[in-house]
Amino acid sequence: MRLGKDGSSGGGERVPHLAPGCDPASLSLTPAEGYLLSRIDGNTPLSLLRQIAALPAADVDRTLERWVKEGVLVWDKPGARPAPQASAPPTSTPPSAPRPAAPAPGIDPSLDLSVEMQQRVIDFEACLDRPYHEILGVALDADAKAIKSAYFGLSKQFHPDRYFRRNLGPYAARVERIFKKVLEAYELLSDPATRVEVQRGLGAEAPPAPASPAAPAAKAASAAPAGAPPPDPAAARRLRARLSSLGRHHRAQQERRLKAKGFFESGMAAFKKERWLEAAGSVRLAIAFDPDNESYRSAFSDVQRKAHEERARALLKEADGAFELSDYKDALRLYEEALHYRAFDAELSHKTGRLAWKLGADLRKAKEYAMAACELAPDNALYHRTLGQIYKAAGLAANAKRELQTALRLDPKDVEARQELRAL
Amino acid sequence: MSRVIGIDLGTTNSCVAIIENAQPSVIPNAGGYKTTPSMFAVTQDGKRLVGHLAKRQAITNARNTVYASKRLIGRRFEDAEVQKCIELCPYGIVRGQNDDPRIEVGGKAFTCTEIASIILREMKRVAEEYLGEPVQEAVITVPAYFNDPQRQCTKDAGRIAGLEVLRIINEPTAAALAYGFGKKTDEKVAVYDLGGGTFDISILEMSQGVIEVLATAGNTFLGGEDFDRRVVNWLIEHFAESDGIDLRGDAMALQRLKDAAEKAKCDLSQREVVEINLPFIASDGNGPRHLSIELSRETLEGLVHDIVADTLKTVERCMGDAGLSSKDVDQVILVGGQTRMPMVQQAVADYFGKRPHKGVNPDEVVAVGASIQGEALTSEEQNLLLLDVTPLSLGIATFGGHFAKLIERNTTVPVRKAHIFTTTRDNQTAVKIRVLQGESETAAENDLLGEFVLTGIRRAPKGEPEIEVSFDIDANGIVSVSARDLETGKEQSITVNATGTLDEGEIQQIIEEHELYEVQAKG
Repeated sequence: MRLGKDGSSGGGERVPHLAPGCDPASLSLTPAEGYLLSRIDGNTPLSLLRQIAALPAADVDRTLERWVKEGVLVWDKPGARPAPQASAPPTSTPPSAPRPAAPAPGIDPSLDLSVEMQQRVIDFEACLDRPYHEILGVALDADAKAIKSAYFGLSKQFHPDRYFRRNLGPYAARVERIFKKVLEAYELLSDPATRVEVQRGLGAEAPPAPASPAAPAAKAASAAPAGAPPPDPAAARRLRARLSSLGRHHRAQQERRLKAKGFFESGMAAFKKERWLEAAGSVRLAIAFDPDNESYRSAFSDVQRKAHEERARALLKEADGAFELSDYKDALRLYEEALHYRAFDAELSHKTGRLAWKLGADLRKAKEYAMAACELAPDNALYHRTLGQIYKAAGLAANAKRELQTALRLDPKDVEARQELRAL
Repeated sequence: MSRVIGIDLGTTNSCVAIIENAQPSVIPNAGGYKTTPSMFAVTQDGKRLVGHLAKRQAITNARNTVYASKRLIGRRFEDAEVQKCIELCPYGIVRGQNDDPRIEVGGKAFTCTEIASIILREMKRVAEEYLGEPVQEAVITVPAYFNDPQRQCTKDAGRIAGLEVLRIINEPTAAALAYGFGKKTDEKVAVYDLGGGTFDISILEMSQGVIEVLATAGNTFLGGEDFDRRVVNWLIEHFAESDGIDLRGDAMALQRLKDAAEKAKCDLSQREVVEINLPFIASDGNGPRHLSIELSRETLEGLVHDIVADTLKTVERCMGDAGLSSKDVDQVILVGGQTRMPMVQQAVADYFGKRPHKGVNPDEVVAVGASIQGEALTSEEQNLLLLDVTPLSLGIATFGGHFAKLIERNTTVPVRKAHIFTTTRDNQTAVKIRVLQGESETAAENDLLGEFVLTGIRRAPKGEPEIEVSFDIDANGIVSVSARDLETGKEQSITVNATGTLDEGEIQQIIEEHELYEVQAKG
């Protein structure tokens, strides 16, 4: 399908809308593309999209065309969707029923794929968010044979080799996407290890069954008929993301867990030896390899705190060194970075603010740092004096006066504050 | 529309088949043989010979006769297997400009892709003569354990031969297709394929007209030629002992030994003892020497029993991958000439606890399967669907030289898999994604398919950035890999263009050369 060819009868504004069943989360998009996709609501016409997207108009066109090709979008005209032949049944008719007189949106009779099959693809895509056993069309407790039989049956319909060299237009990518999903469902359900996870996932995330509140949740889940209400799609997606990274082979998962354990142990060893940075790095890797392990996460907060302290110390040392070498710009950058880890350090805040002010850098930032110092240590005359001086430099005389007076009240012998105040 | 042929491009013999009137049939060559030796020779006067003609003159022209070049295709010159060949082959093997092994015959260094193309062209010609019409499309088989470069070289060879290669499929898979063709039963099938140069084992399940590859394993450097080599070495040792002459340096003697060994081996499948007679095999100060010795089936079995035992280890691993035990298999199919050896048949029967299936011809079944897949892809009927798998694991190199597999071997294609990775150094702003193929835990021991760099990662402590790496394999086996920084959305990707050992320019050049040669040959 190409731009311009699709406005089925020409004229009017063309409006893209999401293809039924398309899961935008499965696409890989740049932020700009993500934004553009988020603006597509089935009402916003192309001309408006060109104006509001964070992309040049030509890029908008190109991106939309690509999405149409990939089967993400279909073109439509506003008001055209209720078919002109108003007596035709709605487009959600099951595939077995007689076809409506006007082709449903996205159906293109010129393709080398029967209209029935196109409808089947659209319908099937709409179900890809459902639990795995529903994708395969089997009961939750189906045996291996039934699962394989369902998988083979669907493969015959959706394996891309079925359509070798045929012109499927946007359906080529959609058929392949369906097959990959069917394969994923089959892999996860046919391996007893991953299947348990799938069932547990459904059990944990399905709403409690109101009909039999006494039944234990796990039992209710495993006995739930195929027609049970599907769990929250977002939760299902989360589960699927987790399971697909589990992959077919449980062994791979165990290997990762083992690796995670190794990292965690070396992290803890480093922690005991007070090599905090190393410890934090290792524990972080452990979490990366085994994100579900709560004990790694809880240990991480301790390790991270220590690591932050160490990092801050290192940064401060470096900053002081830079300062002594009169490399003030670098010193300021390093103090700021250290402050990121030591937000509670009044002296550091003050030092950073003062340096920022002296460098004539960003006065607002300087003020923020000095204010933070004053908040952390309200009785420190020096901090108030600095804040006053910064206000003065920024031309905020009233504020400057107030801070300098506070400084003098806290330390009446502060000559510099007095002079500054007088100068005001 | 022209028809699709199936070609089994074997190490020692090749075979071509086609579907006629909904039935597969093997096409005989002009001499009436259903298989053609995968041999190529350049004669003294510069004539090029292929197949039986090349084989017939091999003894008198050993240095300029190429056989078993499939063992070299898609490999690097440094590979141990290539070095082994250099030691054993009578023809010269030199380092090509792409670090590939090239075969020197008739004063010219041929790439292995080129040699394969010459044999494919011959098979194409055989089919065209039989059909009386041009043939342009083919499905070609390769050993299951061929890696991407080896497959790509085979594909390139097809192109040079003037064929559009619709699909490269695995030999054991093809054998299973041939076995399953027209069957309505549900079965689990093991295909034990011991050919001239390679060994493959595949476990497949067939039901409802769908054939699913459950697992496949093998060794690209183990086959009937190794049996021959054992016999040749035995003969050489025997002769050195009896006559005090080392035949190793004598190319012509080696070729005679090889032929005699192969013949003796084949004869021993029918008989208990054979006599090997090679008069005038050498000469020294005392005049000509003759080699004459008896070889018994028992001695032969003693020479090769460890090779057979090795194949069963591979079978065991494959069964483990398929999650089956030997009694779950309903049918065992033997493929490849070497499976005619009684000891091999017995070992396989013992392992699976049942006699192998007798209904297929081990030399022809692979080509038949290839033609069936060609038909399944292109015909309107489509009553057969092959769910093929990726033969080797795919993944990326990770910190410390490890190999993180994203797609395990034997995964059905098309498929998509993703995993989150992170940085290993503080403030690391770029990661290099090295795409690897192989089974070793150590990155360096796998084949590098391609690499790219993802930049612009936020400066952060190691382990904090999240980088999603995803692998996609489409139905044609084309791999694309992308890496995405989940925080910034930055993305880099490559399509792994499986590279053979030749680039596009070199392929075009060879095609032109061949056209020129064809014109000269005709003129």
